[in-house]
Amino acid sequence: MADYEAQIEHNILEHEEEEPSANTTRRAVLQAAIGVGVAGTVLSTLYVGAGLVPKKVFTPENEPLAAGDILVYAQGPNQNKPINPADLKVDVLQIIAYPMNPKTNVVKGSDPNNTVLIVKIQPSRLTPATAKGAVDGIVAYSGVCKHLGCIVSNWDPNLEQFVCPCHQGHYDPANSGKVMSGPPPKPIPQLPIKIENNQIIAMAFFLAPPGVNA
Amino acid sequence: MYQWLDERLDITRFNNKVLRKAFPVHHTFFLGEITLFAFVVLVLTGIFLTFNYEPSTRLIKVAGYTDPVQAAYASILYIDSLPFGAVIRSVHHWSAHIMIAAAFLHLLRILLSGAYKKPRELNWIIGMLMLVTSIVVAFTGYALPYDNYAVTATRIGHGIAQSVPWVGVAVAQIMFGGDFPGSDHSIPRLFSLHVLWLPLALMGLIGAHLLIMVKQKHTQPKYAEKVAPGKILGVPLFPQQAVMSGVLFLVYVAVVTLIAGGFLAHPVEAYGPLSANTPAVKPDWYFLWIYGLLKIIPSHWEFTIPLFNGGKFGPEFWGGVLIPSILLVGGLLIPFFSVTKDGQKQRYLELPSQKPVRTSLTIAGLMFLIMGTLAGYIGDSGMEWLTIPVAWTLLIVAPIVTYFVCYIIMRAIWGKTWPQEPQIEFIGGAKGSAADD
Ligand code: HEM
Ligand code: FES
Repeated sequence: MADYEAQIEHNILEHEEEEPSANTTRRAVLQAAIGVGVAGTVLSTLYVGAGLVPKKVFTPENEPLAAGDILVYAQGPNQNKPINPADLKVDVLQIIAYPMNPKTNVVKGSDPNNTVLIVKIQPSRLTPATAKGAVDGIVAYSGVCKHLGCIVSNWDPNLEQFVCPCHQGHYDPANSGKVMSGPPPKPIPQLPIKIENNQIIAMAFFLAPPGVNA
Repeated sequence: MYQWLDERLDITRFNNKVLRKAFPVHHTFFLGEITLFAFVVLVLTGIFLTFNYEPSTRLIKVAGYTDPVQAAYASILYIDSLPFGAVIRSVHHWSAHIMIAAAFLHLLRILLSGAYKKPRELNWIIGMLMLVTSIVVAFTGYALPYDNYAVTATRIGHGIAQSVPWVGVAVAQIMFGGDFPGSDHSIPRLFSLHVLWLPLALMGLIGAHLLIMVKQKHTQPKYAEKVAPGKILGVPLFPQQAVMSGVLFLVYVAVVTLIAGGFLAHPVEAYGPLSANTPAVKPDWYFLWIYGLLKIIPSHWEFTIPLFNGGKFGPEFWGGVLIPSILLVGGLLIPFFSVTKDGQKQRYLELPSQKPVRTSLTIAGLMFLIMGTLAGYIGDSGMEWLTIPVAWTLLIVAPIVTYFVCYIIMRAIWGKTWPQEPQIEFIGGAKGSAADD
């Protein structure tokens, strides 16, 4: 055993004594090969890793909200039925709605970013900017909290504000969805609406992109 | 028979080297074992769950529901309807809590007794990674029932992942398989992470942890130093330690089954399937402090570095990612700042009162977590006194006060029990010492 090791040691020494320059070149070549190999692997992993990001598959149910869509109840006994503006009372809990394609009657409820809040408040309280997209005090907003994406489904009757149940973000429906307290970084975008045939219709897209990252 | 096997497998050597290995006995030494038992029980009950769970969000009709519900949700209803199905699911759920709690207490034990010092830095790091991995496993499992509560809680996690500047969106897309909720790929992906890849990673880490522990041997309780300095004092792995552990395992199974029989975990029927209404969610207790931080960090604490589109640093990033990461990295570095004298190997446990600064810092850190947790209750009924400024004050002041109070108490205790610093490292005088053979 020891002899064998000594032999190897000897060989190595001999080797180095013989051709120091050859050794350096060999090392450089090896190092280059390892470097190229590692870099190539990392790059190709990143390249292949792109396949980990899933494709978004579009279906009629998750198409983005569009102008002309009819707003329907997202839940409850009247689910998927158009909201009748006459049923809204001033200063009560908002209705959660989804847009419905008026041509195909498909309710686009599969994309959470299509969630809409509808509430009625005293028309006199609306700021002029907000009033532009409102009818008779009925205003609509994106329902996705700008903080971390919960649906803003609560209402504070004293403050008359939307409340996100997740971290108590408060939004003012009378003033462009402004953040009144809590952690959300931005207002929830308003959805301009009109009323036709006792139905609430989206006049355009949300005034700003809905959802957490926009 | 014995001889026949011995000649072939060298059992005697194995017996002497491994089975007779001395295990120091101390009640806090069982915390690590409980963590391990909880993991074993999680895997066993998890196998049962995978046999019946359907990782899919396709909509199906289920008796008792007017609208179709997601298959994942339906399969949990099915599990709960099986004989003892709900109990087994609850054992799984409560074991997840116990595993994380035990791992955390285990970590505190190591920290307070100085057992992380040389040569055990590696196991400290592995331990930290295991704690984080188990929390991530629990998080990926949380979404699986796909009830309204679970989905909302997971959605917040998705939002936090997205908040990381530059890479967040890609990370969230990969981990959650697209938008959550919404994408059909999210449940299959979380399922794969939850039942396969993360448990495998944990098994690897646990294996390494135990091998290193066997190689390095335990730090010993202080009494060992007085009774038999320089020797390992303990009971042999086989049969004594094995019997103790076996009994403890059975007790663990019995207790957790009792809990599960009495308290159904995560009642999916009560939460109902995914809907547009947000339930008032609270995350599990080990996330509450992060949740509290998210509530009190104001929205205007944000700035953007307009480089490579998307360098946004916002409140969710501070509370949800940055502060926890700082704590984690700080924790990982502890053994490199708090070291033994002259690079000695740590062989005996330190008493908490012996290191008043470390002990007080640890307790103050716990107080920080508790105050963060408290902030998680802002806005609840009955908690009106807890406003955001009050929560901030508590978060900052309480740990500082705790530090000083604790320090004074530790000093007082130390003075009484140990009139002077005991000589820890040099007892026995041996350089290489019996513990490194
Ligand atoms: C390693 C630590 C593990 C932790 C911390 C953990 C934690 C969890 C949690 C918190 C849930 C949600 C349960 C509920 O609320 O109902 C869950 C569900 C689930 N887990 Fe695990 N788990 C672990 C390991 C495993 C393993 C190894 C498997 C499979 C081999 C597994 C399979 C499942 C399945 C199928 C579900 C969905 C059924 C349900 O939610 O009841 N888990 N897990
Ligand atoms: S998600 Fe709405 S306040 Fe946090």
